[in-house]
Parts: sequence; C-alpha cells; structure tokens
Amino acid sequence: MRSFEHVNAPDIKTAIALLREPATEAIAGGTDLLGELKARLRSPRRLVNLKTLSNLREIRYSPKAGLRLGALVTLAEIERHPIIRERFSILAQAAASAATPQLRNMGTLGGNLCQKPRCWYYRHRLFHCWLKGGDRCFAEDGENKYHAILGADRCHAVHPSDLAPALIALEATVRVVGPDLDGEISLAELYTKPTESHRRMTMLGPGELIIEVRVPPPKKNARGVYLKAMERGSWSFALVSVAVQMSLEGKRIADARIVLGGVSTIPWRAKGSESILIGQEFSMELAERAAEAAIAGAQPLRDNAYKVSLAKSLVKEAVGSLAS
Amino acid sequence: MPKVIKTKTEFEGRVLEEYVVVEGEGLSAWDAHVPLQFVGKKTTRVDGPERVTGKALYTFDVQLPGMLYGKILRSPHPHARIKSINTQRAEQLPGVRAVLSHQNTPKISFRRQTFLFDEVVRYVGDEVACVIADDEEIAQDALELIEVEYEILPFVLDPEEALQPWAPRLYPDGNLLGGQPELYQRGDIERGFAQADVIVERTFRTQCALHNCMEPHGSVALWEGDSLTVWDSTQHIFGVREGLARLLGLPLHRVRVIKKYMGGGFGSKNNLGKYTVIAALGAKMTGRPVKIVLDRHEENLATGNRPASVQHVKIGARRDGTLTALELKAIVTAGAYCLWPPSLGGPARELYACSNVKTEQYTVFTNTGPLSAFRAPGYVEGTFAVESLMDELAQELQMDPIELRLKNYTEIDQTTGRPYSTKGLREAYERGAKLFGWHEARTPPAALLSRRHAPKLRGVGMASQIWSGNGMPPAYALVKLNPDGTATVITGTQDIGTGTKTVLAQIAAEELGFPIEKIAIEIGDTQLGLYAPLSAGSMTVASVGPAVRVAAHEARQQLLDVAAQVLEVPRDSLTIADGLFRSPALQKPVAVHEVLKNLENFMIIGRGAREPNPEDVAVNTFGAQFAEVTVDVETGEVKVERIVAVHDSGRVINPLTLSSQIEGGIIQGLGYALYEQRVVDRNTGIVLNDNLENYKLPTALDIPEIVFEMIDRPDFRANNLGAKGVGEPPIIPTAAAIANAVANALGVRIYELPITREKILKALGKV
Repeated sequence: MRSFEHVNAPDIKTAIALLREPATEAIAGGTDLLGELKARLRSPRRLVNLKTLSNLREIRYSPKAGLRLGALVTLAEIERHPIIRERFSILAQAAASAATPQLRNMGTLGGNLCQKPRCWYYRHRLFHCWLKGGDRCFAEDGENKYHAILGADRCHAVHPSDLAPALIALEATVRVVGPDLDGEISLAELYTKPTESHRRMTMLGPGELIIEVRVPPPKKNARGVYLKAMERGSWSFALVSVAVQMSLEGKRIADARIVLGGVSTIPWRAKGSESILIGQEFSMELAERAAEAAIAGAQPLRDNAYKVSLAKSLVKEAVGSLAS
Repeated sequence: MPKVIKTKTEFEGRVLEEYVVVEGEGLSAWDAHVPLQFVGKKTTRVDGPERVTGKALYTFDVQLPGMLYGKILRSPHPHARIKSINTQRAEQLPGVRAVLSHQNTPKISFRRQTFLFDEVVRYVGDEVACVIADDEEIAQDALELIEVEYEILPFVLDPEEALQPWAPRLYPDGNLLGGQPELYQRGDIERGFAQADVIVERTFRTQCALHNCMEPHGSVALWEGDSLTVWDSTQHIFGVREGLARLLGLPLHRVRVIKKYMGGGFGSKNNLGKYTVIAALGAKMTGRPVKIVLDRHEENLATGNRPASVQHVKIGARRDGTLTALELKAIVTAGAYCLWPPSLGGPARELYACSNVKTEQYTVFTNTGPLSAFRAPGYVEGTFAVESLMDELAQELQMDPIELRLKNYTEIDQTTGRPYSTKGLREAYERGAKLFGWHEARTPPAALLSRRHAPKLRGVGMASQIWSGNGMPPAYALVKLNPDGTATVITGTQDIGTGTKTVLAQIAAEELGFPIEKIAIEIGDTQLGLYAPLSAGSMTVASVGPAVRVAAHEARQQLLDVAAQVLEVPRDSLTIADGLFRSPALQKPVAVHEVLKNLENFMIIGRGAREPNPEDVAVNTFGAQFAEVTVDVETGEVKVERIVAVHDSGRVINPLTLSSQIEGGIIQGLGYALYEQRVVDRNTGIVLNDNLENYKLPTALDIPEIVFEMIDRPDFRANNLGAKGVGEPPIIPTAAAIANAVANALGVRIYELPITREKILKALGKV
C-alpha cells in the first residue's frame, strides 16, 4: 500500500470534519479497507481512526427501547452477547456466520454495514469497472458465478454483508451523522442501487457516518433464522443468504420479514414472499409459494442460475424451520 | 574404483534412464522382525521448537546489512510484444537503486521457451521488469512509474481451442508441446475393444489448481567478490546451484545455495525461479544484497499450477469384469511455458492388468500461467478419470467396485513386465473395506432411485492409488562423530516441511546406537553439504535415508574398531546402544565419549552413498481410500463425512511425520475435489481469484474424520531402509473416492471437478 497519515479521531465532530477533506478515509476494524489499500484500489493520504471514539462501543438493551448498538461494536461481541443471542438470535447467527473468528474480532458493525462489494472485478487493480468510475461491468459477460440475480442494473456485484439482511429483517434503523446531518433512517433505506451519478451501495456521502444501530424490541412470539449457503464451511461470503423473522400466533403467521443476501447489489427484501405468508396458516405448500415469490423476476447471468434455485431452497427451509 | 552403470528410475510417471556411479551397496534392509529403537517410533520433530517459536529462519526472514528489495513488474496482458520500456521516472524515485528489464540484462534463456526478460509476454503475470529499491513499498511505487508500450497480440486461454488451426499461436511451431502428442501403446487397442462385452466411455474435466504454499517463493542474493550466495525457497538446492551457475556463467564452487527451513513447495519449487536469477543480477548491479519474495497474488499467477485437463477415457471389459482395453486421451493445459509435463496417462497404464492400452497426451500452450509439478502431478487427475470410469463399469456389470478392481489386479508392472518388489494393494482394499464398513455402507445403485426425495443423500465411494516413490541415486551423506559422543549428519537435501531432518536423525540414531538428541542434522547448504536429489516425487527419504544409514554404519564400524583397541576387548564382543559400549568383557557399560576423550581430537568420518535401484523388479507405492459423503439435494451442499485410507509405502520410519503427510494429502485432495479452482476471466486472461479469499482452500470445518492405516511392511528390494515415499500417495485417490461417493449418493455422476453446489443442483435438474 502507499504511505498515508494516520489520525486518531478525538470526537465524532472532529472525525466528520476530517473526513470531509479530500483523499481521506475512515478506518475502524480495517478488515475491508486494508484489502483495498493493499490492492491499491484507493490511496488515501490520510486515514481517520474511529476506534478512539469509545462511546460508540456500547451494547445497550431495554425491553422498551430495544437494542442499541454502537457502530464500533465488533462482530464477535454481537455473536457472543447473551441478550442478542436470546432475543435477536437472527443477528447473532448472522454475525457468527461471517468471515472467521480473527476477522470477527476486528470487524465492526458500522464497517460491516458499509463494506464495499467483494466482486472480483471491483477488487482487481487491472479492471476499471463501472462501479469504480469506468464504463462497463466486466461481470456481465465475464465470470459471474458470484454475481447478482435480482434487480441489478449497471453493476452486478452483490452486497456482501451478513448483518444487513438480519438487521433489516429486525426492522433496524441507523443513526447517521454528517456535516449537515444527524438523523435516523431505516437500515433498508441506507442501501441504494448504485446510479450513474452515485456509484455507491449506500446513500452515505462524504463525511457521513453511521454511529448507532437501533433495533426495536422483538414482536410477540417472534422468531428468526439466518441461513447462509457458502462454498465451504467457513470464511466465505454468502452465495445466497436469507434472514427470516416471523411472528406466529398458533399456526397463523402474524408477521414476516424476509431479506436475502448475496443476490442483489443491495440486501434484497422479499416483500412478495412476506405478503404471501402474512395472515395465513403455515403449510409447506405456503412456504413453497413464498419461496417462489422471493425469486420472482430473477435475471440470472451465464454462471449464476444456481443461485435462483439456492435462494428458493433457503427461503423454503428458513420459513419451514420457523413454523414447525 | 567406482562402477558406472545405466539405471532406470521412475519419476512422476516417466522412466528415466541415466548413468550412475554405483556405491553404497552391501547394507541390507533391517529385518522385519528385528526390534528397532528409533525407526518406526513416533518421533516429534527435531526442529519443532524453533519452527513453532519463530526462531527458524525462512528465506523471508533473512536480513542482511544493506539489503535491498526487489519487486517485479508483471504483464497485464495475456499476450503482447513489448515495444518499449521507459524506466526513467521509476529510476528517479528516491530510494530506487536499479530497474532491470530486457534492455539492461543479458538475454538469458529460461524454461526452454522464453528468456529471463522476454520481449514477448505470454500470460497475465509474465515478468516484464524488476525494481530494486530501499524497501518494498518504494519498489512497488516505482513499478507504477515504469512506462511500457505493448503491442497487443491475440491470445488463447482454452487448450481445446488452442489446438485449432485458427487459434492464435504462442510459438511459431504451434501450441502443441513437442509438435505431437505423447503416445503410449501396448497390445492392440482396437482388438481389445472388439473383444469387450461392455464398453464405457466418458469425458472428464479437471480444473486448474494452485499450490498456495504457506511460505511464498523468494530469494535473497549476496555477492562476495565473485562468489554468489543465495538463500532460496527451493525443493532442490543443488538444482538451483546448477541453474544459477549455468545461466550466470559461474563455476559451481562459486555458487552457494541455502535452504534451512521451508514452508512447503508441493512441486512448485522444484526448479530455479526467475526471481532467483533476477535477485542475483540485481545484487550484482547494485553491489548490495537483494531480497525478492513474491506476494500471495504473484504466488497464484506465476509460480505454477496443477494444469486443467480434459480426459476422454474408454474402457472395454468382458462380462466377468476382465478388462480388454483401456484408452485415455488427455488434453493438458501447459500455460505459457512448460518444463516437465505431468503424465496423466500413468494410472491408465499401470493400475490394472490389461494387455491393450493406449494413452495419448496433448500438452497445449495457452496464454495462462505456466504449469509446474503439483503433488503427484498427472496421477491425481488421471486417477480421478480412470477410477470414476471403473465405477461406472462396475455399475454396468453390476459388480462391487472392489471386486472389479480385484478382478484386474496385477502383480506385474504392466509397462515394464517386471514384477513388483512388493504390492500391498490387495491388503489395502481388504483392510480399508473392513475399517470403513464398505459392504454395509454401500447402497446398491438399484436402491438409489427410491431415495431421490430424501433431503440428504448419503453415498460411499473408493479409489485406488499407484505411484513411484523409491527415490534414486546419487545421494551422499557424511556422519561425523565428535569427541563428546555426539554425531553430526551432513547431507545436501532440504527439509521442505515434511520432517526430513527428524527422519534422518532417527536413521542415524538407529544405526549408530546413539540417543537421538546426540544427533545433529545439517542439511540445506550446497557448500557444506553433499549432493542429494530434489525433494519431489516422494523420494527424499528413500534417496537420502539409505546414504545416511550407510554413512552411520561406516562411522559405527570405525568407532567399534577404535573402541575395541582403547577398551582392550574383542571387537566382536562390543555393542553400542544408548550411546554406551557394552561387552561381556566389560564390567559396566562405557559411554562413547569416555572412549573418544582419550583420543584428543580424533574424528571419525563415515561416508555413505545411495545404492542403485534394482533392475529386475518394479518398486512402487500403493493404496486405497474410501469416502462417505452426504449431499443436500435442496442446496447442493456436499459434505465429506469421513475418509478411510490404507497405504503401502514399505516400512514406516516415523508414524508422526507420516500422519501429517497422509492427512495433509487427503485434505489437499478434498480441496481439489470440492472447492479449489483457479478462475481466469475469459475476456482478458486475468486470474480473478489470485488470493486466499476466492481461491477456496478447505478450512478446519470442512475436514472430516480421517482414519488411516499403513501396511508397514519393509520392501527389501527398494533400498536399505525398506521404506518408500509417502508425500504424494495420499492425495492421489481422494478426489476419485469422493467423486465416486457423490455419484453413489446421487445416482448421477459429475464428470468435472470441483464438485460444486452448482454442478450438484444441475445434476439434480434444479438449474
């Protein structure tokens, strides 16, 4: 990597001010950024270290307000936290399925939600792809077994986060602060399909940071499951993952949220599947229909049609496992 | 006077005939029933503590005063002619000491087809230039300042396409190595198929696999006057010495190559690398030592691979299972350059008794990274194809797979007509089947259909292994006895991570009758050591071990001569064990050092050489592996539940280091079967997964229960240890056994590796 200056952020306000400067990047766990620096995809002159913002490391819970997670909480802390494991188990499962123990010890919640895609064209120095400001997506007619099957447009990379689908299924919101901003938005709204003028996977602009994630208290009789299909047993991004949070009243499905990972440039909410389930009595036939709806409109590329089948299977299995 | 003879040695599927000077004869292998004190005993690594505490110096750890660092500029194009290189801006960067390219270095021929710095680049990753700078980061920065103007040439990535007349050519005489296929024939293949009642025929495909040694390739070069010392991560210090001397025009005694500790090679470090020669030239140019160590990306581009293959296999058999004909046509992707093509036809030629066999191999140049040896080159690929098709044949004949294999069992090497010195394969099948519970676990194919709706399918499969592994002369060793009763073993082999030092210490301790902690092993240095062959072909122990044993034996004889005189007892009455002389004529045991201390600095030097290989028998290693898998029919996930292996590599010297080899081989074979695959972008020739994130090696969670047993019977004809190699055998049958288990689970076969979720879902009609 090229040399850079490393500055500790004394407080959030200063961090934001520093991050507005050109050629400046934020670093927390570094598990995503360091890869880009080593590959020389980006060469910031200055890194602003957020790990010094100790007030962003807390996990707080109250039955009324729900869960509040500072952006610097690590994946390992989420994975191990007793209350998260008990009441927001889908989130603990997602954290535990990510990366490796070493990476989970370093990687932070905020960084995980804002990570860049793992697309091998995006990550390769020799490809100046559309997402990096070039004029084409090399995956479209290239090697695309890992790429998007749903809702892709100019870029076919998938959003790699495990936490994002789980948190969106839990209806999480994020507090975003920036130079002219301090507000709360739903996590689902944070993710945007990259456009010609905004070639990023989140709506965050320069100097804008997620500082906290808030998860409302679990609904009555709510249960969740996170399933992730990988190429091997560990240390793999999802080929396809699915987060399902469901509330059951007897056999009747009172509420359901289904979010898929690894299938689109953003975490993919399967609203069609949800509406098939909500208000209905559970049956495997219903789960099957919901699974079918999850992949409606899928447009696989040459090498990733298997993901359509995989997504369907995972949704069916997840819904089935929660209802039975 | 030394006797010069012509001898035949099998190395990685090819028989080499060469002259050798016969020495080292006269010591026969230890009898199978003689109890041994060190050989055959679990022995922890003699260099374990320094390895695990970070004190062992690997090539990367070598730090010399004033040392500079080199970084190589690699081609971004799969095929191009360099029109010009402008290094001026790079040279002006503070901290840059030299920039090497074809413009300012001698035209040094390399790997037959190219030059150290060629004006034509033939794959993405091919060497273009090298910056030597004060540190690696400066060198890396400078690479971006080198301006290269390329004339882009048409390229070809696929070997079948490369054989077409219209394909872009890498070389004027075409893309086929040698201009014609390598052909082997015995009997009459057409007549053999005419005699068959059943013929099975399939096309198998295997992927390109990358070595990913823990320790990267690299060198540190130091000039002292006209003498060059190179610390090199190599499997053959003497080979590197010879290569450097030849390419740089140096006499051998001015070149020293050192490799003390190593983190794996798997065949990718068999030969001299460009980085080594570049480091030597860079050090000469700057007058300072130069280190060049490749990074993980370079490792996955430019240090070799197990080449992808397409294999058409056809087997004919009589109704009773007797093979009448076996034909294999392989297309192998050489990549841009090729020194030593693997032999994919080996298993087809050797595994079974069959009088009509034809193998044909097309090794094809493409604009991709060059192949190299990779743990049992050719045999892993060839065994997958042949042993998969044998299972299809068994199914066709409604025979048990083991029964079919036993039906075609041979005690005679089919290629030379010589009997095998020993062959424990029948026993390996029997013991393996029993350990595994083969007959209970196997679901007959007929019962498979009814299970198609179960969520998880279970299947079992097995496969056989044949490989060489007897090593060869020449290999030399010295054993010095020091006045304090310690011994130093000196030879010129290298321990590539397998435990060579430990095994040699066991052999020396056994022969000398010294405690193992009194033995020091000095290897990995051409200047101080004696010639030993490359650590490849599973032949290090079988080549070097016998020489060490002869040297230790000779030292022991001298020691007994001296001790008998000093102690004034009959020589024949003396024994040595635990470092003590014992004799009925002595009142109590006398320590070796007590005798030697009377002789001041008298030194005993035993000299040993590897004896020639036998000419009348074939020496091979054998084995069988069994796999059980479960397949999730919804998600296509394959899980290997367990592997059982039984191998015959002659006498076992160290069960501990051996278990590392067996388990490591199986794990590497499992990665090859299910996960590993180099991915090259079809439109640009760029390797997309030149990293450990997307080149998927198996993790701890993917490794099943591994149970293995060794036949552990000395091969008295092999060498004076009765031991044969075990580095490569365990990787050979794993992928085939897993593929057969998957086919048994699904009732449908997958003919292409790796067996991914996508292929499973496709085979099940879900994609």
